[in-house]
Amino acid sequence: MPDAIAWVDEVAPDRAIGACGAKMGRLAELLRAGVSLPKGFTVTVEAYRQHWARAGLDEVTEGTLGRLGPDAGPAEVEAAAAAVRAEVARREMSADLAALIADAYEELSSRCFEINVPTAVRSSAIGEDSGTDSFAGIFDSYLGVSGPDRVLEAVRHCWASLFNARAVSYRLRSGTHHRDMPMAVGVIELIHARASGVAFSAHPVTGKTDRIVIETSWGWGEAVVQGLVTPDHIEVGKADGRVLKYQVAAKNVVSAFDYAIGRVVETAMPPRLVERRVLDDEQIDAVAAAVLAVERHYGYPVDVEWVLDRHRREGEPVCVVQARPVTVTAPAAAAPTEWNPAAMAAKYVFGR
Amino acid sequence: MATVIPVDEFITDEWYPGFKPGYTHAPWYIDPVQTFRKEDEENFWFLDFHWPRGLTPMGLIWNEDGYNWSSQLAAEQMPLPPGRGITCRLGGTHTYGSPLPVNDVREIGQRARRLERMLPPFLQNFDEIWGHMREEVNESWDYFHGVDLSALSLADLRENLIQARQYHKRAFEIHFQVMYPLLANYVGFYSMCTELGLDPGQIGKFLQGYDTKIMETDRELWRLTTAARAAGLEPVFAAHEAGGIRAALAAHGGSASTWLTTFDDFLQVYGWRTEGSCDIALPSWIEDPTPALGMIKTFLRKDRDHDFEAARNAAVEEREAAVDAARSTLTLDEQKLFDGGLASCRAANFPWWQDDHNYYIDLRISLPMRWACQAIADRIGADTQDDTLYLFWEEIMDVSGGRRPYDAGLRSLVEQRKQYFDYWLRRRPNLPKVVGTIPESVNDPILIEIFGLNSHFLRAVEAAGANSTVKTLTGVPASKGLGRGVARVLHNADELHRLSPGEVLVCESTSPNWTPAFAKIAACVCDGGGTLSHAAIVGREYGVPTVTAVGLATMVIADGDEVEVNGSTGQVTVLKQMPNGRG
Repeated sequence: MPDAIAWVDEVAPDRAIGACGAKMGRLAELLRAGVSLPKGFTVTVEAYRQHWARAGLDEVTEGTLGRLGPDAGPAEVEAAAAAVRAEVARREMSADLAALIADAYEELSSRCFEINVPTAVRSSAIGEDSGTDSFAGIFDSYLGVSGPDRVLEAVRHCWASLFNARAVSYRLRSGTHHRDMPMAVGVIELIHARASGVAFSAHPVTGKTDRIVIETSWGWGEAVVQGLVTPDHIEVGKADGRVLKYQVAAKNVVSAFDYAIGRVVETAMPPRLVERRVLDDEQIDAVAAAVLAVERHYGYPVDVEWVLDRHRREGEPVCVVQARPVTVTAPAAAAPTEWNPAAMAAKYVFGR
Repeated sequence: MATVIPVDEFITDEWYPGFKPGYTHAPWYIDPVQTFRKEDEENFWFLDFHWPRGLTPMGLIWNEDGYNWSSQLAAEQMPLPPGRGITCRLGGTHTYGSPLPVNDVREIGQRARRLERMLPPFLQNFDEIWGHMREEVNESWDYFHGVDLSALSLADLRENLIQARQYHKRAFEIHFQVMYPLLANYVGFYSMCTELGLDPGQIGKFLQGYDTKIMETDRELWRLTTAARAAGLEPVFAAHEAGGIRAALAAHGGSASTWLTTFDDFLQVYGWRTEGSCDIALPSWIEDPTPALGMIKTFLRKDRDHDFEAARNAAVEEREAAVDAARSTLTLDEQKLFDGGLASCRAANFPWWQDDHNYYIDLRISLPMRWACQAIADRIGADTQDDTLYLFWEEIMDVSGGRRPYDAGLRSLVEQRKQYFDYWLRRRPNLPKVVGTIPESVNDPILIEIFGLNSHFLRAVEAAGANSTVKTLTGVPASKGLGRGVARVLHNADELHRLSPGEVLVCESTSPNWTPAFAKIAACVCDGGGTLSHAAIVGREYGVPTVTAVGLATMVIADGDEVEVNGSTGQVTVLKQMPNGRG
């Protein structure tokens, strides 16, 4: 199975998304944007398809899901979806595929100069990032997965998450077959995060493209991305890189690595860190430089997830772990750049 | 369901004795001055703070020539898209104002386009335009100042009075021609700053720290205070009421005589001003220097002189720091926009003009009419010089034109009208602040910023009466800081001498003649006024915590209560009530 594994830094850019799904494909594309990326590989769409056929999963899905009509109730959908997920997660991979993945994992550990390197195992389905963005964040991701057996298990669970109830009911409504949405899975080194967050190359609410908006908290980015914590809010002028605003938030929850269970979990923020400012100016510069590089690469406003490595030194880049077009952009009204007293009076004073 | 406060108490068959309502004999531009009619209840009227004593018949010339001619004319010449200026109704001797709206969308659009063409050149050339206007006002001032009224015949006095009124009217045309465009520009800038995410509490600071003619006067008053202290005159001031100080100083002789000479020199420059805005019934400091001497008397009770240089430097420093802090939060494009707006507002600085123009217009422009009326009173043998102020314009025209004798009938009317004036003066503290239909909100920025008719004020007056036990009031945070002290609830400037250093001034609103008091008070609380009212501007210049648009401060707070004023949050708290303070 020569196409089962695709390394982030080796896959040809023109086939990256087709082979690796939306999330991992974009990551591979970012190599050309010149940003710093985590090391990692993708268990490709091809591997997923072969496993699917060999394990006879079509019978399971057709049998269980085929009975659902387009107007099936939520409880009915959830029950059928749960049955499919359990079956998908249970079916063993072929020895060949398991060996390929285990070998790639060993290679990754070696590239990172670590034994049993902790990884992030992320679902990366074809089409999950498409225009409507209906699947954003609904497929599984596992942070801190360490050792070949756990990696294999996490890959199977990511495959199974293709049958989350929300995904199933969406496909039912839209008449999409799950075959049109094959699931690749990324296995990437888990950056030892001192802080992480998201960065937008345009204001996500006002749509203003003159600024970069950064939201950040201590530790890993899950708590920020899932909205479990109110992050520090930073705005940076795009034209001159000046920090316009830094609002320190009370950050009560943190995504931290739990060594006992070998996972990143959400836990209470240590009191000393709750109201402490996360990023200094040099770090803000690095985050801004990364998001700007990604925006330049794509040519339109983007948002990225980034991580600040615990061992990062001043002047080094931050690591980008995900990027996508900004989805919630209000069309920015053409902002005036010259003071026009009559227009201002008309707009503000006389309510026109 | 909108709240309606009835106007019935103001609807009378006979208003000022001997005068029928239907007050439409002077030219007006859109809507005339009138007494209240029942149908006025459909509109919204606010009690005007400029005349806390009420207006005499001759004083009502201001309403005719100010609001109902000049403001309406100015709002057409440089059109305010949705408004035609201000009209007024009379509640007894008191003035209630109301905006005149434009409702037709097409017309508003056309007015907006006219404004768009006319506003930029006006603002760009403001310095020159205001310079010419000042020159015009000063030139006529010199003329009236130079006329020897005692040498004129009654007929010539009549002519002089007509000219003086024309001058007064022209001055207020100028007043509103400047005020509207400057305010429109400022409020546009203010709103833009708010939209850029700047702290509204900081915006007023961007334009502070520029000297005005009024501040110049205050500085001179302090110089006189320092001189009086140096000459050892403190005991003379301390031993006499303000009204008796001049005579006491004259009797004292020596250093007091020298000081009085300096004081008279001061009066010749700065004394041509009244203790209140645009009111013919008020004397100038030249005619009666009691207010100036009273002010110096209270200044002497302060341990230290007010350091004008330090206060001004602090204001300038604060201004520059506020601008820097604001700019640092803006992108380069936003900075360009902000800088443009700031430059425009500095070139045509509304907060500055709002104080400065009072010296040239509001505080002295009624004086030539007053002098003519007094001279006519002398000539026709009136009992006092002020009697002619209780005649209406036609009456004084007839009397001075020899068409009607100043007979027993008119003399008796004058007496009755004085009683009528006093009756309404007593009613003033309890008059409704607004009448008619209270709107959800007022959209006219002039009413919001100058008169403080924001939604908070409207809700406060709506709830009037229900909250007599209220301990905490809120208003517009107009000048930051925390001040605490004994409240002095003053209803007009005549009472300013009651203020002791460290006390909290509580009033309907302030005018430029109240300014010197800011050098000694701990805080200021006003019923009305927005971020651009006199008290707000002066509070910021003097660093006095000030809260405006509280709504009912003069009713809820009693003289002698201990209050705390938070000029940063807009909260006013009654800490300790006077045992017998309420009544």
